[in-house]
Amino acid sequence: MKTIKQLSVLTSRVIKQNLTDTDTIITTFIMPIAMLLFFVYIIGGNIAINGKTGSSGSYLAYSLPGFILMAMAMGSAFAALRINNDKNKGFMTRLLSLPIKRWAILTSYILASVIFMLISAVVIFLLTMLLGYRPTTTGANFGLFILVIVLFALMITLISLPVSLTAKNYNSSNSISYLLIFMLFLSSAFVPIAGMADQIRGFATYQPMTPITETIKALLNGSFSFNNLNTTLAIVWIVGLIIIFGILSLRRYKQIFVNN
Amino acid sequence: MDAIVTKNITKSYGKHQVLKGINLNIKRGEIFTLLGENGAGKSTLISILTTLSRPDSGNAFVLGKSIKSAADNIRENISVNSQFVTLDNEFTGYQNMKLVAQLLDIKDVDKRIKEVSQRLNLSSFINRKIQTYSGGMKRRLDIGVSILGNTNILFLDEPTTGVDPKNRLEIWKLIRELRNEGKTVFLTTQYLDEADKLSDMIAFIRNGKISLQGTPEQLKSQTNNLHRITVSTKDLDLAEKVLSENKIEFKKVSDTFEIQDSILQTALKQLINANIVILEINPVKQSLEDVFLNATKGEQQNENN
Ligand SMILES: Nc1ncnc2c1ncn2[C@@H]1O[C@H](COP(=O)(O)OP(=O)(O)OP(=O)(O)O)[C@@H](O)[C@H]1O
Ligand SMILES: [Mg+2]
Repeated sequence: MKTIKQLSVLTSRVIKQNLTDTDTIITTFIMPIAMLLFFVYIIGGNIAINGKTGSSGSYLAYSLPGFILMAMAMGSAFAALRINNDKNKGFMTRLLSLPIKRWAILTSYILASVIFMLISAVVIFLLTMLLGYRPTTTGANFGLFILVIVLFALMITLISLPVSLTAKNYNSSNSISYLLIFMLFLSSAFVPIAGMADQIRGFATYQPMTPITETIKALLNGSFSFNNLNTTLAIVWIVGLIIIFGILSLRRYKQIFVNN
Repeated sequence: MDAIVTKNITKSYGKHQVLKGINLNIKRGEIFTLLGENGAGKSTLISILTTLSRPDSGNAFVLGKSIKSAADNIRENISVNSQFVTLDNEFTGYQNMKLVAQLLDIKDVDKRIKEVSQRLNLSSFINRKIQTYSGGMKRRLDIGVSILGNTNILFLDEPTTGVDPKNRLEIWKLIRELRNEGKTVFLTTQYLDEADKLSDMIAFIRNGKISLQGTPEQLKSQTNNLHRITVSTKDLDLAEKVLSENKIEFKKVSDTFEIQDSILQTALKQLINANIVILEINPVKQSLEDVFLNATKGEQQNENN
């Protein structure tokens, strides 16, 4: 009971700081929204999808998962930055010296990061609804969509955690998040892979971002099936990366109060 | 049961063995001060005793609980004020205190924050963001956060470094009050006068071991006692010659001669025999500084041999 209360105090601290910091708001909300509007209304009409001439409406439906993931990846940069700050500026030492279960401290950072990313996902999703987008899918698929988004948030939180717990300087603490955003541009998130150069296409097809965005698209437009290469790849990537980076994060976290 | 017992604690960073077997017994309700040069391992020992780090070998018991197997339990009974401040820079002083008070499940949070901020004179800046604080303000707030919990054992790693003289006195007062309330205080400091004035027990750490330990009085009386002899100015050169010829060890300090008590009588006899006018004989007060310097000097000589 006490641990639950501590967990919620610590988690809401980070979320509150994220939501009241101008830099954070601009980067995680304003930037992705501006890019979404730019892509959808300026470029979108020129991008042919599945052989059909493009329009802003069709591009919005196509790129929606990409923009949700992008906003989440931007959010992960700030979660990473705050963890790194706590570690380097001493506050984590305070937390580790208090009567709080050690797992609860790490969990609070992970929870805060996941919740913050979900907030940015919801904001982007609501914006696209405002712009006229409507998902065309079943309730069950929409439920699965939410599950994938939550797992994706957990995945990128864990991927960036070892670096943010280690980096000596906050400029490098969020490098992983920018790498994730770059990976999104090398995937089918914003433009179809078919038109990419041969050398990139192979990488783009199998790297995690493509199967994950494709799975989300399918979940939202009703074409989802478990019997599909992208679905399988998405599951393998998400589960695999969560396990691998979960272990790495845990190991790095323990070093902080064992070897120091 | 002692408050803190350490048994042969060792700790290395890479090839550098910082602690080479630390054995201490710290009684309940005393102010215990650990002294040592920069890099001697004071903070390292504190981080081990406060479960922020683990020893390579050996063990320690805080109120009888092992730091290895009962770390969670130990953290219930201790507070730590680290050498470097541990504040959340994005928050105000008040928010920092409130956060920790909530984590500690303190009942009347605002009342407790008010008490602590009065004790440490924090009221004038407690509502400002930490980013705008001076070094001394951060330090005092950090101490405030550390005493919120009202725990039985407090670790204070250089609590007065960077604090102005007036507030240093306030912190001394606070430390004494905490002891009078029955709490055990584990202190480190760079200031020997602070150690002398506050401590019930002092230990020197050097080369990874406790090289000297005792009450301030014991330590000061341990070193050789000296007397200072003042002779009339005209006899100064003669006196020096007489002492040298009779192989009496002395140290000339401006117009006086410092001589160890054990050979004081011999020295005086020789001076009187030579008809030298002795104006004054004064005992030299030993400060903790002398003890500290003597201790380090002695060990360096041993190392060189
Ligand atoms: N995390 C670490 N990694 C590597 N070396 C370390 C680490 N922490 C401390 N040391 C080394 O251990 C030694 C003891 O450091 P410690 O901070 O305990 O000294 P100290 O007695 O507190 O010194 P000061 O009076 O300067 O605070 C130093 O040589 C220091 O360089
Ligand atoms: Mg230190």
